[in-house]
Amino acid sequence: MPDGDQTASDVGVKWWHRWFRTPGELRDLGVVGINMRNARFLLPNNPRRLYRLVDDKLQTKALAEAEGLSVPETFAVIRTPHDASRIERILDKRYSFVIKPSRGSGGKGVLVIDEREGDLFIKPSGAVLTRDEIRHHVSNILAGLFSLGGQRDCALVEYRVRPAKLLTDLSYQGAPDIRCVMLHGYPVMAMLRAATKESDGRANLHQGALGIGIDIATGVTVRAVHHGKPVTKHPDTGVDLIGIQMPEWNKILDIAVTCQEMTGLGYLGVDLMIDEEIGPLMIEVNARPGLAIQMANGIGLLRRLEPVVKQHKENPGAGHYEKIAFSKHHFAAKIRKATS
Amino acid sequence: MSARTKLLIAVLFLVFLGGGLAWHKVVHLGIPFWRGESVQDWEIEAKVSFLGTGKRPKARLSLPAVAVDMNRGQEAGSLGYSFYTERNEGEYTAVWSGEERQGGQALYFRIRVPEGTSGGGEPIPGNPPEAVTPGFPSSLGDPARAVVGRIKTTTSDPDSLFVSVFQQISGEDAPQEILLLKRHYEKESREMAVLDMGIDLLNLAGVPARLAYGVRLEPDLGAQPPVPLLEYYDGAYWKVRNPMEPGQVLDGTGLYVWHRGGGPLLDVTGGENSRVVFTVAKEPVPLRTLTDLRDSPWMVSTILGLPLSERAVFRYIVLIPLGAFVVVLLRNIVGIPTLGTFMPVLIALALLEIPLARGLIMFSVLIGAGLWFRFLLSRLNLLVVPRVAACVVIVTLLMMLMSVIGYRMGMAGGVQITLFPMIILAWTIERMSLIWEEEGKRSAIIQVGGSLLVAVFAFFFMRIGQVQYWSFYFPELLLVLLAGILMIGRYTGYRLSELIRFKTFSDA
Repeated sequence: MPDGDQTASDVGVKWWHRWFRTPGELRDLGVVGINMRNARFLLPNNPRRLYRLVDDKLQTKALAEAEGLSVPETFAVIRTPHDASRIERILDKRYSFVIKPSRGSGGKGVLVIDEREGDLFIKPSGAVLTRDEIRHHVSNILAGLFSLGGQRDCALVEYRVRPAKLLTDLSYQGAPDIRCVMLHGYPVMAMLRAATKESDGRANLHQGALGIGIDIATGVTVRAVHHGKPVTKHPDTGVDLIGIQMPEWNKILDIAVTCQEMTGLGYLGVDLMIDEEIGPLMIEVNARPGLAIQMANGIGLLRRLEPVVKQHKENPGAGHYEKIAFSKHHFAAKIRKATS
Repeated sequence: MSARTKLLIAVLFLVFLGGGLAWHKVVHLGIPFWRGESVQDWEIEAKVSFLGTGKRPKARLSLPAVAVDMNRGQEAGSLGYSFYTERNEGEYTAVWSGEERQGGQALYFRIRVPEGTSGGGEPIPGNPPEAVTPGFPSSLGDPARAVVGRIKTTTSDPDSLFVSVFQQISGEDAPQEILLLKRHYEKESREMAVLDMGIDLLNLAGVPARLAYGVRLEPDLGAQPPVPLLEYYDGAYWKVRNPMEPGQVLDGTGLYVWHRGGGPLLDVTGGENSRVVFTVAKEPVPLRTLTDLRDSPWMVSTILGLPLSERAVFRYIVLIPLGAFVVVLLRNIVGIPTLGTFMPVLIALALLEIPLARGLIMFSVLIGAGLWFRFLLSRLNLLVVPRVAACVVIVTLLMMLMSVIGYRMGMAGGVQITLFPMIILAWTIERMSLIWEEEGKRSAIIQVGGSLLVAVFAFFFMRIGQVQYWSFYFPELLLVLLAGILMIGRYTGYRLSELIRFKTFSDA
């Protein structure tokens, strides 16, 4: 028995860690599984009727604008096939834009156009689309191809966010976004998702994107994972990923907490992007945020969620800034451990 | 009351209700709990249907005398009809009569036959009847006599004569005379041609023969029309044989002889479009117990109260909850990703109709080929709904192609694809191609593979004979299953797949 193999961390390395972890070990680490997330945090805190507020991006944006939050400007909403056939007039004079389904999830059906040469539209990857192909994409969106449950949908044409230089450096193509998970309005964990060559411009961790944990207190990146394994440099560009200060971190937290207040959802994830000129923009609110964020931060979500549950019970009327202060105080990253 | 206690109460209630009803059925009504505990009977149900014409209908259905004499259990079902059985010279007839009727009418008669003992086709002694010389049209008289004459020289007794006649009729290289006769009979009596011709030839040869009817002892057939058989007199006994297999003595394994004696099988007055169909089932529960069950004040036996033909559907339907349970187990406890939630149950149900290995190969080939076509289609930039429809058309053609190829290669069973798997296939292809485009081929293959894996597990679970027996005879046990599903619904532990997913998790 390799029992003497105790390392600095409190869990010893065992032979089976190459293959799996026992439920007891995961519980000790405070890891939250899908079943626990659903049964303990989603179902009791997110009433079904509130989902439509966030599943439909048009509604979310309307709410956010009413709250005075900055969101990417909507150039046009395409609701009918008739609108779709007039797409050239809608796209007239737009040189960069994003087309997305209003009810899409997980980045499905999002088409980003960076540049334009006459009637040809160029994606960030350099791929070229004709106007017909764009129209076809829009009619797919309208037919509900990308929406939850396949219901009819409408397509949003939006401002294309120009990410701050600081962030584009961390990503191989694609724009990195910040995900902040909240419970009862307390920010509990945050991460930056950056694309890699492998993930093909997408920010989905299971497709090979990087998950970079961010310290709630300071907005500094503390840890990064690629396919679940800690890394310190970008696998494609070799850029350092740790110790980067997110710009306007307090404003980001502020937007995240406001999103919780305006939707009323108890457990949610807020996705943001940082524009070069405009600053942090709210992109979407997710009522079923995934669990990869714990990998990126190297901390089990339960360690953050349980104190919040307790705090919320003792102090249900806590205000906006009180919540931010609580999170900043309790969830500050410990002294960074050198991982390399 | 917290959600937890509510759940506990609901679970206990369901377990006690379901378990209690099952216990009541086992202890007080005597239904065996384990499948192998009882003798299996064949239950054969005749369903007479006709259209009432506003007159007083009267229906007469001939019954198998051997089964009625054995008195293993019989039962007539018909709401609002008066019913009796009539006995005449050893033959039994069920007689229903009722008031003026309009519209579709259905009458049922059910008998029990012990498995593999009596086929109802035993030789019965009888008085020598007159062999009626059939009247042939002048042009056919000579060929018929020539055929009979030739057969007679090579055979010694009525049995071999019978075999020889039908071998000649259905043989590959039939002589000219037979072909001539066949053409005549096919014009006259269509599907009964072989039988009518056989009867006439036998009579011409001096062997009295008449029509009889049987039922195939194959539960999977569902509602089947009666199988025409032939009864002939060998000098001392009336014997029954199947003209399609003339050399074989009916021993009660494949066919049950329902009607003999030469009279009509069914006779309806005061109704139109009358017909009789048979449904066969293996029934482990004695008929007397079943009757008790139907009369019991507990509404525990609604399925068993239905006529056989209607009940057969439930054999599949009660399996669906079992499949759903397997899906819940594999998704929420094991964590296998699937395409859609209940797609695997549907695939498993489809697999129940085809042999497993062949079904899986077929599914994979069809999905692969369909996907390829689907990508060809995607270059045309079609709208969503027409594209799915195009997918359905292509899957249909592929299935036909595969069936033909399978048949040419001698896999006769490979062609049993029904409507149901087809729709599932088209749908799978469409969803898989979407995931392929959106999330990459890895996710698509993982999800389809996961669906097939879950489907195979569900299939094996649904195939267990004991499980099928319980779900059919003790449907109340589904309440216990429901309790199990409710419990899993509150399971907050890790999925097995998460133990692997988080294997690299380490404290920061």
